[in-house]
Amino acid sequence: MSTFGALNTAYRGLTAAQQGMNVAGQNIANAATEGYTRQRVEQSSLAAPARGLFSGGALQVGQGVSVDAIARLGNSFLDGGVRSAGAQAGYAGVRSSALQGIEGVLQEPGDNGISTALQDFWSAWQAAANQPSEDGPKGLLLNAANSLTDKISSAYQGLDAQWSRTRAQASDNVDAVNAAAAQVAAYNTTIRSTLAAGGSANELIDARAKLTDKIASLAGGTVREQPDGTVDVLVGGNALVTGGSVRTLALSGSSSDRMGAPVQLEWTDRSGLAIPVDGGEIAGALSVLAPGATPPSTPGSGGAIAEAAEKFNNFAVDLATAVNRVHQKGQLPDDALGNPGAVGQDFYTMNGSGPAALRIKAPADAAGIALKLPGKGALDTSVSDEISQLGTGPGSPDKAWSGIVTSIGVQSRGAQQREDLTSAAQASALTGRASQASVSLDEENVSLLANQHAYQAAARVMTAVDEALDVLINRTGLVGR
Amino acid sequence: MLNRVTNLTMSAAAQRTLQAQQSKLAQLQEKATTLDKISRPSDDPAATAQALDTRARLAATAQYGRNIDDGNSWLTAADSALEQATNVMQKIKDLTVQAGNGSLPQSGKDAIANELTALNQDLVSIGNSQHLGRNIFAGSSDAAGAFTPGTPRDPSIPADTGTPPSFAGVANTSVERRISATESVRVDADGAAIFGSGAGSVFDIVSQMAADLRTGKDISPRLAAVDTAFKNIVNGRSEIGTRQSQLERAGSVNTELEASLDAQKTGIEKADLGSVIMDLKLQETNYQVALAATARVLQPTLMDFLR
Repeated sequence: MSTFGALNTAYRGLTAAQQGMNVAGQNIANAATEGYTRQRVEQSSLAAPARGLFSGGALQVGQGVSVDAIARLGNSFLDGGVRSAGAQAGYAGVRSSALQGIEGVLQEPGDNGISTALQDFWSAWQAAANQPSEDGPKGLLLNAANSLTDKISSAYQGLDAQWSRTRAQASDNVDAVNAAAAQVAAYNTTIRSTLAAGGSANELIDARAKLTDKIASLAGGTVREQPDGTVDVLVGGNALVTGGSVRTLALSGSSSDRMGAPVQLEWTDRSGLAIPVDGGEIAGALSVLAPGATPPSTPGSGGAIAEAAEKFNNFAVDLATAVNRVHQKGQLPDDALGNPGAVGQDFYTMNGSGPAALRIKAPADAAGIALKLPGKGALDTSVSDEISQLGTGPGSPDKAWSGIVTSIGVQSRGAQQREDLTSAAQASALTGRASQASVSLDEENVSLLANQHAYQAAARVMTAVDEALDVLINRTGLVGR
Repeated sequence: MLNRVTNLTMSAAAQRTLQAQQSKLAQLQEKATTLDKISRPSDDPAATAQALDTRARLAATAQYGRNIDDGNSWLTAADSALEQATNVMQKIKDLTVQAGNGSLPQSGKDAIANELTALNQDLVSIGNSQHLGRNIFAGSSDAAGAFTPGTPRDPSIPADTGTPPSFAGVANTSVERRISATESVRVDADGAAIFGSGAGSVFDIVSQMAADLRTGKDISPRLAAVDTAFKNIVNGRSEIGTRQSQLERAGSVNTELEASLDAQKTGIEKADLGSVIMDLKLQETNYQVALAATARVLQPTLMDFLR
């Protein structure tokens, strides 16, 4: 070993301790940074130089310490767990809020719901029957009939608006995925060249991991790490990002589509082919945006919004059919000239085309209300009495409505429970990753302390060697002087 | 894997706990202010169905209550009309007995005949009585009166009776009020059955008697017919009394039902105040404990103990 070898060893110790303090400083500085993964100095002891031909004599000690790398203490398994839990939570969250939106449209149980309007409607028929010669109760009946149809059609329009909102949101999410994918590709390129040049890309990898988390929570998919430090992001089994190259996603159809139009996620360069998305907010949105059940006899196979709208249509048809079936038996009041009123007229009419919930209309005035049976006296009220009792039977519109409310309530409850479950799973995945990757201030303090002491000790080694050399150089050969 | 605990995991866990406690607190606060057990169907789908059903039955019961009140006013009107008719018939019967007295001079008979004619007109106007603009005795007809006016007698001919009023309503129809999902009650009276129509009607009998008296005939043979007419009116009135008591029973049943449905609705939709307040207090304490624990836990680090 050369005379100055020990100085060199002490110097290596100083730099290693310094590096350790630097990394501890970086960790402490980023203790609260979202997505930061803690780092650690990887160091190893340097072996003694190999014994050469002329080295002879004494054994040689190692040559100090070497700083090998600054390691990022992430765990790809835990990262994967966070991504898949995020995808599930995103899916369940969108579904749950969509179903709660549908529930909000119902306004049940309450005084503004369709059930209250139905009861007012049936009561109004009885009130009209109590005073068949008066116009007031008939006006109130028309009012109740209109308020019922208004509620049906405004609920339908509410669903239509919700569909458009959800589609717009899904479209925004697709744009966000495309933007994030482009950034991931850019990071891939930078990280590859940084690593190839021997640099540390830890912070870049953190930033890229945040982006892949976001992609997963929006569109599901998987992430594959490559040996060169880049990652491939796969959505629906096909690559969204490979190294530095990126493909883009798009929603089919246009932003002006209305409820019932098919919506699917496609590759921009392969339009017409649906991507089977397995999770994420986009998949959740697509599942509630899907057209109604086909065939209609299999509820649950279609999108939640379109199916709810279909229920409103069926309810409107059922209501009109039930009321009209009785109303057609009746005779309209005589006209002003005394001509007998028409028989077999509908109460609720559905003209034109479009959804039944929007087309159902009550008569324009009291002349369209038949209270009496033909052949009975002018003030007969058999028809109105029979209609007022339509709400009580087992197949009544009231029961049908209650069934709709209950089934939507059950669906929404299920979706909320699923949301709770997946968000708990997401929280636990995040905790798991954070417990591995986050900075512990205590640990960093200990490491800071250790490195500080190591630095001081290395300086002491240097002083000791220096003093020894001083003795050797300045004091040797002065005996007896 | 050993779970490593860091400042970040602790503060994240603390945040999550606080958030969960706070959202529970908010839920309970909403529940305590509205006292609503079900604010949306997904809170309890089964109870929602029950609530909708109870509300529907409650609304129907309220309408039945209004129908019963309305029916009662009809029956009261019919009853008072028939009460007047009974009084009039009583007088007619008295006069008939009085006229049967053989010692009565013709002038007295003429006076009785005139009184009978006046009482007959009273009967016709009673038969045409209305309630809220509608004939009580005309069934479902919208005719101006339940009985046509008929033709008055010619005063110059003592034997003339004129044409008796005839029933102008629609036969075999009735005014009914629905008092429950399964039951309707008739609230008018059948004018044709009570007063008769045209020839043979009570109007006809009385005017015949007046004519008989004017021409000096013995009217005692007509006493039986008067009795029958009287009985018809009394029968009509007793029938109305029966229906009135039926309506009264239905009214009290309906009120009870309404009260029990109201209680049922409250039970389904409303939360118990005491238990909600208890839950709220408990949750407040839980939240405060969570806050205090969080403040304790997040304070110290190793730095507090290093120089």
